[in-house]
Amino acid sequence: MAAQVAVQRGPFHLTRSQRSTLVRALAMATYVLVMVFPFYWMFITAFKQNSDLYELKHNPLIFNDWPTLAHLEYLFGKTLFLTWMWNSLVIGVCVVAITLLAAVPAGYALARLNLPGAQQLGIAIFATYLIPPTLLFIPLTRVVHALGLANTIWSLVIVLPTISIPFGTWLLMGFFKNVSKEIEEAALVDGASRSQAVFRVVLPISKAGLAATGMFAFAISLQAFLYPLVFTSSTNVKPVTLGVVTDLIRGDIFYWGELMAGALIAGLPVAILFNFLLNDFVEGITGGALK
Amino acid sequence: MDAGLVVAAQPRVALSTRVRRGTLRRLAGYLLVLPAGIYVLGLVGFPLALGLWYSLTNTTVASTGAFVGLQNFADVTRDVTFRLAVRNTVVIAVISTAAKITLSVALAFLMLGAFPGRGILRTLFVLPWTIPIALSTIAYKWMFHSQYSVINWIGVHIGLIDKGPNWLGTMPAAIIAVIFVSTWRAVPFGAITVLAGLTAIPGEIIEAARIDGASWWQRFQAVIVPIIAPILFIALLFDLIFTLTELTVVYLLTGGGPVDQTQVMASYALQIGVQGGALGQGAAVALYLLPVLLILTIMSLRSIAKREGL
Repeated sequence: MAAQVAVQRGPFHLTRSQRSTLVRALAMATYVLVMVFPFYWMFITAFKQNSDLYELKHNPLIFNDWPTLAHLEYLFGKTLFLTWMWNSLVIGVCVVAITLLAAVPAGYALARLNLPGAQQLGIAIFATYLIPPTLLFIPLTRVVHALGLANTIWSLVIVLPTISIPFGTWLLMGFFKNVSKEIEEAALVDGASRSQAVFRVVLPISKAGLAATGMFAFAISLQAFLYPLVFTSSTNVKPVTLGVVTDLIRGDIFYWGELMAGALIAGLPVAILFNFLLNDFVEGITGGALK
Repeated sequence: MDAGLVVAAQPRVALSTRVRRGTLRRLAGYLLVLPAGIYVLGLVGFPLALGLWYSLTNTTVASTGAFVGLQNFADVTRDVTFRLAVRNTVVIAVISTAAKITLSVALAFLMLGAFPGRGILRTLFVLPWTIPIALSTIAYKWMFHSQYSVINWIGVHIGLIDKGPNWLGTMPAAIIAVIFVSTWRAVPFGAITVLAGLTAIPGEIIEAARIDGASWWQRFQAVIVPIIAPILFIALLFDLIFTLTELTVVYLLTGGGPVDQTQVMASYALQIGVQGGALGQGAAVALYLLPVLLILTIMSLRSIAKREGL
């Protein structure tokens, strides 16, 4: 019916709901453009020939010359990009391991053992998540130095869990609270010891929480910038986020093609990984009251 | 043995075993929390205390330094760059926070409901928040380039501007660029959080308000604001804590320039404390943030505790 009316009035007369759909679509398109444009810009820069990139008469939004893999070749062949990726991977995996080793027992004990003061202790641990690196990096340079870890990837392996343990403990407390007590007690009655009950019943049920905590720790370690900046200085010990933005700039010369290629290759996997965590993260900080 | 005694003794034994077992269990429980506790105390609590101590001394990279009282805190207030940094930190936080609230509520409303391609759109929308900030900032540095700025190119070609500004080399363009990147990054997070709040409002409540003849704005104020306000508030406090202490955008985009004009407290602390080697003074600059952060932290923990029903 509505369509017929619109046709009778001509193509530019829209019904009220069509108009609101149109406005909404336009607003949405604007948002998408602004949000996504930098990624498009990274992409097109990464594959443009320098002659195209630095020619002011060219339309910068399209390939005016043939695309090229030269920047990628330079990035992989003539810089330590693969080393930085490897460093990031090692740091990430270690941070995940340390985080889970500390946060799982803490989260379990605080959520399920009816310890006096458990809630307050949980909040106190979570509160440290809110003490930002800005307040800590200056004294931490001395601590890292004293531990003999200055300018090694192990400085980051040791320091980055300070961000992921508090948040992970908090997340896991939420997950463990949701495991019904009866299931665990049923296992205990069946003759399982407390630790058997935990390993065979509670942890498998909470595996979504464990996965979220682990991925969060990994994402955090890849997102970090200030700690890598102050703790690592040699090219071969940098994680990828730091290596890309510091070592592809020589004096005043920015290797834009390589910079954008590196940013894209290092950034997209992290972005996609973090995307899976979004709901858990939002739930974690808003108190899990919304489901 | 007297039967009566045995009967009397039995429960006593059981009771003390039970107490002992309870204590043991509690002890084991606290032991489980210990690794996390030690970690947090050792690498957050201790450095925080050490930083407080440094701020009261003239420690440098080269020397241990002596106690100087509040000298560092007094000295930096007479420092022109420090004042600029405080001003910029406040300006960036206030403007970007206002922009973030408005834009993320708007985006959340756009995303509300089902429509084709919603899943893909959501993934695209959150990209700015999920990509490491250092990497997106370097892309923006290229987009704001003094010669090859694509933003200026687009502006000129759609007839919006004659010739764009030298974004990162002049004021106020440079600080606008910093605020833009900071906002661009945080809007998805705000939108997702608000969306979680909006999805929790039963459709009937909104429908009922509509039937009562409430206009769109009345409905927004009376029905929707009270429901999303608390959750938006928490998201806001979090974001403020990180915006106030954030330095990646400034460090990579403008380097604090032109001539310290976009320096923020965190980047200035880095410049003095690490690059300049004056640990004491750098710590003092950073610690000026502590009172505000404490207030924000207490406020967010309170509202989280309230939501958790503690």
